Amino acid sequence: MDKQEWTSLLLLPAVVIAGPSSTYAAEYLNAEQAQKTLFPEADKFIAQPIKLTKEQKKEIKSLSGLRQRWEVQAVWRVKQDNTFVGWFIVDDVVGKHEFITYAAALSPDGHVIGIDIMSYRETHGDEIREASWRDHLKGKTLDDRFKLDEDVPNISGATLSCRNVMDGVKRLLSLQQVVLSDEIL
Amino acid sequence: MKYYKRLRPSLGTFVEIGTREKSVNKECAIDEAFNAVARVNKLLSFHNPNSELSRLNNSYGKEIELHPISMRVLKLAKLIGQYSNGLFNCTVAGILVDKGVLPNHFDSDHLKSGNCNDIELYKNHARLCRPVLISLDGIAKGYAVDYAIFTLKKHGLETGWVNAGGDLRVYGDILLPTQRRELTGGFSNLGNLHNAALSTSWIKPHHDQSYPSWIVAGNKGKPVEGTWSILAKKSWLADALTKVAGLVTQEKRSILIEQLGGKLVQPVSG
Repeated sequence: MDKQEWTSLLLLPAVVIAGPSSTYAAEYLNAEQAQKTLFPEADKFIAQPIKLTKEQKKEIKSLSGLRQRWEVQAVWRVKQDNTFVGWFIVDDVVGKHEFITYAAALSPDGHVIGIDIMSYRETHGDEIREASWRDHLKGKTLDDRFKLDEDVPNISGATLSCRNVMDGVKRLLSLQQVVLSDEIL
Repeated sequence: MKYYKRLRPSLGTFVEIGTREKSVNKECAIDEAFNAVARVNKLLSFHNPNSELSRLNNSYGKEIELHPISMRVLKLAKLIGQYSNGLFNCTVAGILVDKGVLPNHFDSDHLKSGNCNDIELYKNHARLCRPVLISLDGIAKGYAVDYAIFTLKKHGLETGWVNAGGDLRVYGDILLPTQRRELTGGFSNLGNLHNAALSTSWIKPHHDQSYPSWIVAGNKGKPVEGTWSILAKKSWLADALTKVAGLVTQEKRSILIEQLGGKLVQPVSG
């Protein structure tokens, strides 16, 4: 046996393993998979990327209290049987130690239908270079396919807060109000 | 072997649910498992003033009708409180409210802490005999994992795992590689998990942004700095026993944890 295996019934002796590492990354869904997950009944996703003006970014900040860092936001208008059922938005959260890409499904009247994380990456220490972060930015269009990791370990440890993502969603709701609200009418 | 897994924000943290790529009905089963986690959160959140738990905390002396899930978690919390001789104590929320760690959305004054006998349980009702505040943070996340696993099984998945912010349980023929997040920020290997639950809690001397969780002692035990990982059959038990491990003395730790149905797990180095 070359690995430590734990079961609740049979506790096998320990033999293993490698030393600590300080990065963790996992891929979950690409944009197309996230669309199907969050809008399972929908039949049309129309890409409608938003380019924000300085004023719109300011307005988002004042509505949500959170800074809209980028000018372009990946947005899809979602339809089911030719009826408009909501928005599908891909967004990033950049924290001190984490970089998360997630998808949010928003209803036409500004409610959160659902959130799914597309990829999650965190680091402790300085070994992540800018290039790695740039690599992470790939994979956000419908044409990119993630290879789902097969050997990424699961982490047991003190609970991490999901506050950054919830703040991101709050910002997207404001973005919807500022930029996409006319679309309802 | 290929896996299908999803991650959603829930329970104030990130919840991952996974199974084999080839599992039939996996999307629907995992959706339902996320719904199960959300249901536990809605019922037992201390932060939500409208949860059943907040209703109970606000109704000292009165019998309150509760959902079977709330009743079950309270019963388990009482049991582990009794068996651990008060080291697991779900009535210490008053201390955390006074520190400003937990919100105070209650009408009347509260005790800093009490004990598990302050909660009376009937068939589908509960009553607080003293004005204590209950927080189920030390057990409900683990229970949510168990409930999600139950839901995956109910939907016919032969194998799967749920990881709610570090409370992890796996069933079926998966050997799940696991690592532990250390106080230093790095990760160390704990080995492969198979048909078991694993939970970890930290106790640090000072609280900061990287260490927002609190473990406090009522009138029993004393927090011991360290990282405590527990293996058990069920996630609620592994979750609860990490708190016991963090409050008991070094000499008694392993024996007590084993008496209560868990096992203390240490990473293995090189």
